[in-house]
Amino acid sequence: MLEHLRVLDLTDERGLLCGRLLADLGADVVQVEPFAGSSARSAPPVADGLAVSSLFWETFAAGKRGIAVDLDDEADVAVVRRLAARADVVVTSWPRDLVEAVGLDPVSLRAERPELVYVAVSAFGWEGPKARYADSDLVVWAAGGPLEPHRDGDRAPLRISAPQAYLHAAADAATGAMLAVLARSATGAGQVVDVSAQASLGVATLGRVLAHAVGDDHPEWHQAPVKRTDQSGSGAATPNSLKKWYCRDGMIELHLSMGPAAGTFTNNLFGWLRDEGAVEEPVASWDWRTVPDRIVAGELEESELDVARAAVRAFLLTKTKAEVLDAAIERRLLCMSIFDMSDLAASPHLEARGFWAEVDVAGVTTRIPGRIAHVTGADGPRVRRRAPRLGEHQEEVLRDWLGHAPAAAAVDLEGAAR
Amino acid sequence: MTAALAGLKVLDLSWVVAGPLIGRALADFGAEVVRVESGTRVETARLMQPFHGGVQDKEGSVLFGNCNAGKLGVTLDLKSSSGQQVVRDLVAWADVVVESFSPGQLRKWGLDYATLSADRPDLIMLSTSIAGQDGPWSTLAGFGNVGSSLSGFQNLVGWEDALPMGPFGPYTDYVGPRLALVTLLAALENRRRTGTGCYIDVAQVEAGVFFLSPQVAQHSYDGTVAERRGNHDAVMVPHGVYPSAAEEARPGRDRFVAVVARTDDEWSLLATTIGRADLASRPDLATAAGRRDAEVEIDDAIGAWTSARTADEAEQALQAAGVAAHKAVSTADYVEDAQLAARGHLVELPHPLHGTTTVEGPRYRLSATPGGPRRAAPTLGQDNEVVLRDLLGYDDARIAALHDEGALR
Repeated sequence: MLEHLRVLDLTDERGLLCGRLLADLGADVVQVEPFAGSSARSAPPVADGLAVSSLFWETFAAGKRGIAVDLDDEADVAVVRRLAARADVVVTSWPRDLVEAVGLDPVSLRAERPELVYVAVSAFGWEGPKARYADSDLVVWAAGGPLEPHRDGDRAPLRISAPQAYLHAAADAATGAMLAVLARSATGAGQVVDVSAQASLGVATLGRVLAHAVGDDHPEWHQAPVKRTDQSGSGAATPNSLKKWYCRDGMIELHLSMGPAAGTFTNNLFGWLRDEGAVEEPVASWDWRTVPDRIVAGELEESELDVARAAVRAFLLTKTKAEVLDAAIERRLLCMSIFDMSDLAASPHLEARGFWAEVDVAGVTTRIPGRIAHVTGADGPRVRRRAPRLGEHQEEVLRDWLGHAPAAAAVDLEGAAR
Repeated sequence: MTAALAGLKVLDLSWVVAGPLIGRALADFGAEVVRVESGTRVETARLMQPFHGGVQDKEGSVLFGNCNAGKLGVTLDLKSSSGQQVVRDLVAWADVVVESFSPGQLRKWGLDYATLSADRPDLIMLSTSIAGQDGPWSTLAGFGNVGSSLSGFQNLVGWEDALPMGPFGPYTDYVGPRLALVTLLAALENRRRTGTGCYIDVAQVEAGVFFLSPQVAQHSYDGTVAERRGNHDAVMVPHGVYPSAAEEARPGRDRFVAVVARTDDEWSLLATTIGRADLASRPDLATAAGRRDAEVEIDDAIGAWTSARTADEAEQALQAAGVAAHKAVSTADYVEDAQLAARGHLVELPHPLHGTTTVEGPRYRLSATPGGPRRAAPTLGQDNEVVLRDLLGYDDARIAALHDEGALR
């Protein structure tokens, strides 16, 4: 869909994903790296024995072509500027001080080419009091809102173990780039798109960042309530330990929802237990839609809930993750297998949907996620090539974009890469 | 000034978070977005906190407000045939349709893409769902944690010695719309050049797995199964969230600051800043591998220092030394954050019931065609008249008839 667009990609691990999305959608994306290789090549996870590049690089640089330049060499930088003069979009996540020092900043490049869309991804934004803060995924996660409310009991707030903050920002950068490209079709002019990872994370808090502004500082978000039964269906107000259950080969996420809105799902669960003789009366026949009212009325004791929980606990220990998932679909249960990477790899659903792309990683055929969306009626997103080796497309990019390979370009990468 | 999406007409049939966030972004940049809701089966996001004044009310949710600012709101009974006819008329009006019904539901109503696009080859339609429109999981009931469990996130948040905790909230709801938006805008660019529309099927589970691409690829490459590791990092040490001193302005609330040494040099700066020059000069701590062996000792040293000052003081002292640090921002801190304020990230809007309300601004600042919410999210049925009369050209008698037969509920 974007085959007509040229994207010059000056990102490191902070913005690498942006170009991947545009490449999947058809754009001609050229990744520029310093001679030493992009720092994204060593962003974890790095597999043992995979000396050259990390899986982070191999997945999020897929679809791009690559060149390498000496950023200390004026002639090399001039080649990058000439490429920028042929680009529809330049995207960078290099530090502002660096791009300004070498004249690859938005002011310089847009002075030469007013049609250029220049997208900058950074931790806090291109300008402002924290624009030059030292940053990392965890620090941005703390600054953007999703960290603080997320605690397991009394312990410190928790991040996601796979870094996420810049992925949100880089995906937003791709959207920002497309907004500017669409605007250009009406105005003829390019512009600067400034993406802050901190600001990108607000929508990853389910509205929590807005609470104080409208006068809702509800303490229950901070600590799970103990006195009130959680009737939300999502289990948001239920302690973590009551929502995790062991099954035969792993763990299950299950919240025994009750009350008029979500009690039906728990009725469905106990229907499954009944069918397999795994629960006795009177618990077997409870209507979970009315359980909260019966507790309030004194007809049920909290201890009787423990009998129900024990039945579920014993039952699930006889089931596999795959069996629980099948039952959840068939019987409409709010009960979900907690999948790890091996479960995803074995998923019949992702297989049936043609989700995977196969790329070569250091001689090993490796499956990577290949469908950001499924499109019918147009040439939809897909992985068009593996991630580039360092300087792999030097000559062909200069030929395609500039019409020839300029003598000044440092194309002697065989030596430079070592 | 021309808005980036000026003239674009969008029919938003989605609900809760993942779908509505798409139309919200389009509205920010100039699209006219009509959001259809049921007035009787109230949309879940309206019942979700945070609420204005902390009071649960279907017109008080700022989660709903944030996902729907700038849209026109119309209430329709989609089970009624005349309600469905209004939707057909809105499709004829629209360039783009966004929906998030259970897969197959629109086909039952004759409102699926194949039917709607038969005489509208330029129509773009986007469906967003938990697992996608086809495949064995497509009929899954779609509660929030389902997406994060099936995409691998549930397992990847938590302490090494405790149960998996999962991410905060329905994580794939935050991921899916980002991939949906860029694909949808690419489809608009394609339509601009070819005149042809398309159908886009976005699955939250797949979007979630995409955000774990490196981890799932590593499993394919060498069989490694990624594990949760608290706040530890695969490379950097120290890397943690540390307690800081209590604050008078935030009574009863525990406070924390995130601190990271990205390089060996920054470790030295960090150790010196916290008054532990002895640690900075220790040869066994000069590399990340060495520091990992002494992680408990290092974390205790940092924690002792952070506990003796506020999170703000710790952040400022460390950043002044060039060390990555930031307090864990609470909802109250968010309003006061100098950087977000400088970006104008929080936007105050007039609201018919609350006087004013607050939403987030756009996540992308465009220098020439800046976007932003032009009005608060609609109250239930707020724009029924405008949509039916002005956009669809219905006359008073027809609108009254729809009202009388209950199609506008």
